[in-house]
Amino acid sequence: MTRIVVVTSGKGGVGKTTTSASFASGLAMRGFKTAVIDFDVGLRNLDLIMGCERRVVYDLVNVISGEATLNQALIKDKHCENLFVLPASQTRDKDALTEEGVEKVLKDLEHMGFEYVICDSPAGIERGAVMALTFADEAIIVTNPEVSSVRDSDRILGILQAKSKRAQAGGEPVKEHLLVTRYSPKRVEDGEMLSYKDVQEILRVPIIGVIPESESVLHASNQGTPAIHIEQSEVAEAYKDVIARFLGEDAPLRFVSYEKPGLFKRLFGG
Amino acid sequence: MTHDTANNSDIALIEFKGTTLPVLAITLRSLDLQELTNAGSTLFGEGAFFDDDLAVLDLSQVITWPEDIAWSLIVQLLTSHGLRVLGVTRANPDLTASAARAGLPLLALSAGRSAKPAPVAKKASAPDPELDKIPASLRKKPAPETAPVGSAGPDKSEPEESLLDNPGTLIIDRPLRSGQQVYARGGDLVILAAVNPGAEVIADGNIHVYAPLRGRALAGARGNAQARILTTVFAAELVSIAGIYRTFEDGVPAKLANQPVQVRLAQEPAISANTGLKSRLEIDILRVD
Repeated sequence: MTRIVVVTSGKGGVGKTTTSASFASGLAMRGFKTAVIDFDVGLRNLDLIMGCERRVVYDLVNVISGEATLNQALIKDKHCENLFVLPASQTRDKDALTEEGVEKVLKDLEHMGFEYVICDSPAGIERGAVMALTFADEAIIVTNPEVSSVRDSDRILGILQAKSKRAQAGGEPVKEHLLVTRYSPKRVEDGEMLSYKDVQEILRVPIIGVIPESESVLHASNQGTPAIHIEQSEVAEAYKDVIARFLGEDAPLRFVSYEKPGLFKRLFGG
Repeated sequence: MTHDTANNSDIALIEFKGTTLPVLAITLRSLDLQELTNAGSTLFGEGAFFDDDLAVLDLSQVITWPEDIAWSLIVQLLTSHGLRVLGVTRANPDLTASAARAGLPLLALSAGRSAKPAPVAKKASAPDPELDKIPASLRKKPAPETAPVGSAGPDKSEPEESLLDNPGTLIIDRPLRSGQQVYARGGDLVILAAVNPGAEVIADGNIHVYAPLRGRALAGARGNAQARILTTVFAAELVSIAGIYRTFEDGVPAKLANQPVQVRLAQEPAISANTGLKSRLEIDILRVD
């Protein structure tokens, strides 16, 4: 039974695509056959972050409109066995997405034996974002510890609860997970930034992880490698923890406390 | 006259009992069809604004009227906006007679009730494509009381309660997200989880929020000035009772912020008879100990 997971946020630029890439890679690394789909028609980024932009021939819109098969459009990831990318169209716009079309693509992915399908949502609450969440079984709400991101995440949660197929059918609701990204424990300590607990208190959704702010994310996108592959980095470790928790394992939150550096470190840097 | 108990054919084919229905008073200041059509479009847009709500036309403010009042067309206009017109009220003898000829009876409003519907509430209860309604799965409504069948005997003096007298309280136990709106028609609203900024809770009766109220709360939406808003953690963006509202541009006053609070409408007699009662929102700490 395929599990469809949407990565959404409402607000733009908070780390949805970065998360979709690393989350999908993490599941593939654990041995699950995984597909990740870019729903940002017209402004595609997932292919860049995954490093397969030069191998895009057909895209999601081609498949929906019958111009190509899923097999022709899916790109095999070069970092991971088991991982396939379905890019968005760059020349069309979101009106090309239809509910029936998206449903068929997801059904076909299930027939091909995919165990997880990750839907990378665009920012906003319009067609692309709604299409990405309509068929979701689970949702990762990516939120920066910052007021407008929290407000937009709250809004998208409301939309998820109203417009997903699960909500409309009255069945088991979409399972919600809160992922706080670009977290800086030092700034929280200094009172400049909301803490992950504050964010959770407002949104009332269980936390699946906290990803620290890090330069390695920028390096990773420039290289076309999902951040989870940057060995030894805090971001990679944090994403691995997210995968563990998603799969039901116990993993205490890391990278959330600020330790004041000792006198030596403060004098001589480091 | 005593009732025969045994025979089935004696059971009344027609039964009657007292009941109360909510009715809107629509005050008209013109009876010109074209003027009303334009005003209707401006106020309500095209199509249904109301939800098949019962209405009575208050004609006390009509000063001049055309020789031939197009009553049926006026009623049709209001029907297209979602109102079901029952009759007219507070009309002078000429208008009363004219309306009666068109089949609109003169109805008397009960004394002491505020007849004007609250303008803020009307805006809030209009179906807004921007806002999401709470899906039915989130609502918890207690089972309606079934009215007992038949009467016990001639000495029973109390009228039996119908569902309309006691519409029940709407209970919501999940957080209300930004952009969501809940309307408890005809009754009270109880919310057991946070009302987030950007969310709206509306009730014809009282509103109770046993959690942080950070959004907008509009009680007494159809003009019930006795309605109150009560919350355990007050941080609202806007509160309104029977259309009288207050926003908190500089944030909620420090002594009320995040405290248990009660909001109600204090009505004071005004200086001139024309303006009627002067209303002021009172927001006080609610003592819970």
